[in-house]
Amino acid sequence: MGEVKWEREQMLVDKILEKAPYAEGKVRRERRIEFSIPADRIRDFLMLLKENDFELMLQITTVDWPNDGELELIYQMWSVTHRTHAMVRTRIPRDLDKARIPTVKDIYPVAETYERDSHDFFGVYFEGNEKMEMPWILDDTEQGLFPHRKDFDMLTYVKKKYKLLDRFDEDKDNYVI
Amino acid sequence: MVSQNELIREARENGMDLFPLDKDTYELFFGPQHMATENFSIILKMDGHRVVKAIANPGFLHRGFEKLAEYRPWHTNIALLLRICVPEPDVPEAIYSMAVDEIIGWEVPERAQWIRTTVLEMARVSAYLFWIMGLSFKLGVYTAGQWAAAYRERLMALFEQLTGARVYHIYTIPGGVRRDIPGDKWLRQLKDTVEYIRSKLPDFDNLVFENYVAHRRLEGIGVMDKKFALAEGVTGPNLRATGVPYDVRMADPYLLYPELDFEVPVLKEGDALARALIRRFELEQDLYILDQLLEMGPPSGPYKVEDPRLKNLPRFKVPAGDAFAHVESTKGDFGAYVVSDGKHKPYRVQIRGPSIAHGVRILEQLLVGARIADVPVILMSLDNCPPDIDR
Repeated sequence: MGEVKWEREQMLVDKILEKAPYAEGKVRRERRIEFSIPADRIRDFLMLLKENDFELMLQITTVDWPNDGELELIYQMWSVTHRTHAMVRTRIPRDLDKARIPTVKDIYPVAETYERDSHDFFGVYFEGNEKMEMPWILDDTEQGLFPHRKDFDMLTYVKKKYKLLDRFDEDKDNYVI
Repeated sequence: MVSQNELIREARENGMDLFPLDKDTYELFFGPQHMATENFSIILKMDGHRVVKAIANPGFLHRGFEKLAEYRPWHTNIALLLRICVPEPDVPEAIYSMAVDEIIGWEVPERAQWIRTTVLEMARVSAYLFWIMGLSFKLGVYTAGQWAAAYRERLMALFEQLTGARVYHIYTIPGGVRRDIPGDKWLRQLKDTVEYIRSKLPDFDNLVFENYVAHRRLEGIGVMDKKFALAEGVTGPNLRATGVPYDVRMADPYLLYPELDFEVPVLKEGDALARALIRRFELEQDLYILDQLLEMGPPSGPYKVEDPRLKNLPRFKVPAGDAFAHVESTKGDFGAYVVSDGKHKPYRVQIRGPSIAHGVRILEQLLVGARIADVPVILMSLDNCPPDIDR
């Protein structure tokens, strides 16, 4: 039933999957499609999307899944021509030395900023982005802590940094900062 | 790097007098306390009064909204995320609520949709007035800025009646809105305000948008073309000023926008003047949309979904899943990506601030070659909202 309802989106997915046999794709709902691909094919796939009129990169989201030992990168693309949002999901290992993925800043220049963001907060290293080592939003003392990872202990960090703010109770079950 | 002689020659060709400086370039830290940069910091490398290189230096507003959101129950996040963009706080509320609605699969009642649309349009008008204030101050037309602030005050008063707060409304919640509209009197006041602001638009035209001095300050600076803007991810009025008719309200319709009649103004020059004029035209369109909404009138019915889960908000749970929602803000395409793992707090929230595209890389490139006096004007013509970048 879904395929009949979202015919335009299904055709777009089929067209892209035809050229990218390594990818899996589906239609989520009207104007929302989704692909998941292996991390080493990210450049090929985004180049393919650019050829298929996905002009805008809306953002790169990183989600930490510590139980799987993986970080998920979601490239969110928008096509002005097709009026469709595409999520491109890929997973990379979570270990700091293995969390590497090639940059896509030569395909979508705006990716540079999101890649710096992801590097600062999650420790993902984008190979080929020369601004990786440049300081971004975090202070010097916070570099290398990767605060958006799930195992970053925010409570300890806050207590250490703001010594006067000793109002957090660890025994409390459901504290709200 | 551009040589000094070239810069001087270029300046002379443009009719400017420059002292030939023999010194090397110097570094100038512009912001974050400088009032023209609005809490944003740029490191400028200057040669005389020309910018040779610019480096955006964000981070001064960073409060870790996205991390904090992972520690708070679903509903209290509204009070946190709306602080992302102060001139237009209803937008982060709306995108977060729309994403949560999509994960749960809630159909928001018609009355709530009408209220949400009205609030979003009111927020747009108020944000554009705020922007006119900023631009006028940077151009030195203080009168227009003070007018804009005063007219915005009328909308603030209406927001206060509606939500109980002037700036941080905490009004749009997952499933609808927090409370009903105060009554017919409020609707009449809104109608009066819309008419009043519209009647004042010619004054702004005379003083800012058709002003010879303003045109000289805005025309031909910070030019970008269509292809460059798309590759750099620019959205909103900045993209429409380069000739791309992309508006989320048209391209990915949400709430009541499919039923409304409005135009998407497009210019193709891509300079600061085109961006300013686009915003001026959009202000008129937004007032027109508010007219239509008021004509339509709020549909009867509940203002939020009737669901037993809404009874105990601290333990409110959202089923596992993820969703991306975006709306058109005055800065551009504002989006939220929300992941739930089925617990009573979000697993991950990422806000897509439109300014991250035109506030970092675009700014660094457009500022090169500009005069120091043009730096605040270019910054204002891009309508940069620094907390979007810092989050």
